[in-house]
Amino acid sequence: MNLLAPIAPGTIATVAAVLGGLLVLAYILKMRRRRFEVPFSMLWQRVLKEKEARSLWRHLKRWLSLLLLLAMVGLLLLAVLEPILGGKSNNARSVVIIIDASASMKTLDEGPDGTMSRLGLAKEKVIQLLDGMSAGDSVMLMRMDGRATPLSRFQSDIPKLKRIVKDIVATDTPAHLRSAMSSAADALRMRQKPHIILVGDGAYEERDLRSFTWSAEEVSPVTEDGGTEESFQERRLSVVDLGDIEVRYQTVGQAADNVGIIGFNVRRYISNKLNYEVYIEIQNFSKEPASRRLVLYNGDSEIDVKEIQLKPGERSARIFKDLGGGDKSVLRATIESLDDKAAPDAFALDDEAWALIPENKRQKVLLVSEDNLYIEAALLIFEHLDVDKLTPPEYEKRLTASELESYDAVIFHKYTPELLPPSETHLLYFQPSGDHSPFPVTGVLSGGRVTSISDTHPVMRWVTMDDANFANLHTFAVDRSKAEVPLAQSIRSPIAAAKKEGRRKIAAFGFDIEGTDLMLRVAFPLLMINTMDWFAGADSDLITTYTTGKRARVPLDGTYGISEVSVATPTGKKYKAPLSEGYATFFASEVGVHTLTAHEEGAEVATISLASNLSNAAESDIEPSDELILGGKTLAPPAAGTASYPQSIWLYLTLMVLLLLLVEWYTFNRRITV
Amino acid sequence: MAARAQKKASPADDRSELFNEEFLKKLEYLHMVSRKTFVGSNRADRRMRKIGSGIEFADHRKYSMGDDFRYIDWNVYGRIDKLLLRLFEEEEDLHIYILIDASKSMLIGEPLKLHYAMQMAAALTYIGLANLDRVGIVPFSDGLHPHLPVARGKQRIFKVFDFLRKIEAGGPTQLETVAESFVHRYKRKGLAIVISDFYDPRGFEEGINSLRYNGFEPFVLQIYDQKEVNPNFHGDLTLVDCETGVSKEITVSKALIEAYQREHDKYCDELSNYCSSKGIPYFRTHTQIAFDELVLKIFRVGGFLR
Repeated sequence: MNLLAPIAPGTIATVAAVLGGLLVLAYILKMRRRRFEVPFSMLWQRVLKEKEARSLWRHLKRWLSLLLLLAMVGLLLLAVLEPILGGKSNNARSVVIIIDASASMKTLDEGPDGTMSRLGLAKEKVIQLLDGMSAGDSVMLMRMDGRATPLSRFQSDIPKLKRIVKDIVATDTPAHLRSAMSSAADALRMRQKPHIILVGDGAYEERDLRSFTWSAEEVSPVTEDGGTEESFQERRLSVVDLGDIEVRYQTVGQAADNVGIIGFNVRRYISNKLNYEVYIEIQNFSKEPASRRLVLYNGDSEIDVKEIQLKPGERSARIFKDLGGGDKSVLRATIESLDDKAAPDAFALDDEAWALIPENKRQKVLLVSEDNLYIEAALLIFEHLDVDKLTPPEYEKRLTASELESYDAVIFHKYTPELLPPSETHLLYFQPSGDHSPFPVTGVLSGGRVTSISDTHPVMRWVTMDDANFANLHTFAVDRSKAEVPLAQSIRSPIAAAKKEGRRKIAAFGFDIEGTDLMLRVAFPLLMINTMDWFAGADSDLITTYTTGKRARVPLDGTYGISEVSVATPTGKKYKAPLSEGYATFFASEVGVHTLTAHEEGAEVATISLASNLSNAAESDIEPSDELILGGKTLAPPAAGTASYPQSIWLYLTLMVLLLLLVEWYTFNRRITV
Repeated sequence: MAARAQKKASPADDRSELFNEEFLKKLEYLHMVSRKTFVGSNRADRRMRKIGSGIEFADHRKYSMGDDFRYIDWNVYGRIDKLLLRLFEEEEDLHIYILIDASKSMLIGEPLKLHYAMQMAAALTYIGLANLDRVGIVPFSDGLHPHLPVARGKQRIFKVFDFLRKIEAGGPTQLETVAESFVHRYKRKGLAIVISDFYDPRGFEEGINSLRYNGFEPFVLQIYDQKEVNPNFHGDLTLVDCETGVSKEITVSKALIEAYQREHDKYCDELSNYCSSKGIPYFRTHTQIAFDELVLKIFRVGGFLR
């Protein structure tokens, strides 16, 4: 008999001793007896005197009751250990079966008519392997896709393992072989006769295949480029040691032809935020030339169609410039066969890719200035800005008469008004002064220079002000405790700052446009567009298109203090993902558009859509590998074991406990064991 | 002597309805039945027969020195030449003593055995009084409790009820001690009806013998409760003797209950056999049997009244 449960014998012995001790103690202490008043105890004493002669049997009955309880506890503990019948075999193996459930396993090239998926065949192969397990073999199932997921612990319950296998579904993520093998090797450490059986199609990264060693000693201390001792240690840690583990490989897959999209992304032009360009990369993985029709959609509208001819193995990168059609933010690229009657692609997952156009909106801006062509010129080059201009008296007159139109942003040049537009309007000041300055003016620097800028702030991104000259600079008092941020400093004195007041964003620059040569530099329009983008909430650095199977940290504005985010997948599934310090951890298992939504006290705080694509050449290369070389060693196919069904008896033990319980109950109630 | 004031009675020991109108009707019925039963067999009211100085010839005996010459039967001397003395029946009122066990064990049962004993005592007293006998009631436990003096007259029945209601129960049963005290206190012999469960650890024989040896005619009426014979408890218990306070930890099983029932029957049979062997009338009843039925049974079997 073997014990399968991963519980140390010492632990079970301790539990048994404690439970047994408690039972015996309970018998010694006995229950508190009920008191009954009788009229004539002498009669009872006479009866008991007669009974004394039979007291041995009475004691024996009590012992019988105790023994029954101890037997029940013993049987229960034995059941917890999951004993199996079938004979202890010294050849019993510990086997981890890794089932490749990556995207390429969705390829439909198996079965008599070629409509069965590779995963379907893999599951059949695994079931055959399970049927061939020898007595005492313990098996752990592990799913391999973008991450390694153990599906069971080591056990010999073959029917249960088969049920687990049948429930496995493939995801849209590339296989992470190194992670799966490393987890399997860790699980097998210190176990008897460790085996790993990998069942997959061999569509793995070349880098992964090289990251294994069969002996840690084989890692050379000296590399070709003269590696140091530290790099040697790092290399030893970076490889997965498979020494002493028998690794076998069971291949699945038939088809080899595939053309897939392996790169797809979109970005807006900085100068013209209304237009965007698209990058797309397609590769022909077959050994024959292929021609495809590439169609680009914005929402459901076709915005471009191209025919592409690809030589065997050719990779083609295309850029679609100056696209502006459609009003949706979701772009979709598909590749289709030119021959409408041709058979569908065996691996359809990479025939479609998604991208999200970074959000951009038209902004209405009011410039309040006596006259300044530099600012007007800088604003006019951005087509998504509608600029109006008012002089300070006109501004005050309209605001007082409540005739001021609604603006997204107002720029005050050398004018610091007391009356401000509604609180949703963002404000940009050039050289504010007086009591109504958004930041208190602490002094004026003549001929000052900018010595440092906060390049992590969106307003100052890509802006250089080191060589700009300023006639005079107003310095501000910035209160960091109120989340006010200095944007630029002249010898530790802030000369530009930004802050948020509720929904309003305010930026202030301490220089006058007319007293600096900054407006003659590229930095000035950049500063203006950065500020307008910051006002609009557009982050040009935000990546909205990801690859599946990789973890990413995605910023979610205004989610500080919220610990989780709700993710809706393209197929409508929902799950929770962690959110920390305003960044959500995003891991895509499906191709398509995901929506992340953060809630606080039931109200939606922030939401963002993210696209994810397979975009993995190794995964799209669906040609199956009949042999797999890991760390320089070719893996052999799995050997057939001596089929034997070890019988788990925990259920019978539990039934026996129930039976004993019934016996105890019956004998107690019939006053046999009392 | 007045009965000791009864302590605060428990709800089960509520005696207010013991002698209600219904009870009185039953008594009257029993009295009528008793008259029908005994008319003819005993023409006069019942008397205590005693050899002495009556007018009705009873027997002869040998003359002894010192006997009164006037009672020598000279006719007999003339015929057989022997001095024999003529004896006459002396008639006197029958004294009936009803001894009620008021020990703590009588406070068990539904209804309480004590209540049943009181009703029996009241019924027998009424019949006695109605037949012009003298009846006294003597409660006891480990000694004699305050008693109702011997008296006659049917009108006394309400005093009897009052007395019975005020009997204070408690203490263990000590029949021997009680009998000795009784015979020392009551010099006039008569019928001694002992109503008790006879649960005396020292035994019942000495007590009954003491009555017999001192010229009383014992009449034994044993009362028990059905739950005493068929206890409805099981499992691990502590049994406490209600009189002695002795406790015993036992595990009650069905077999033990059966053994106890056999022992109880055996004990009752011992009492029955003892009474039979001594010619003492003995009746055993449980409290579920109506007292009037028991009285009628006593009438039918005989022994209480002659």
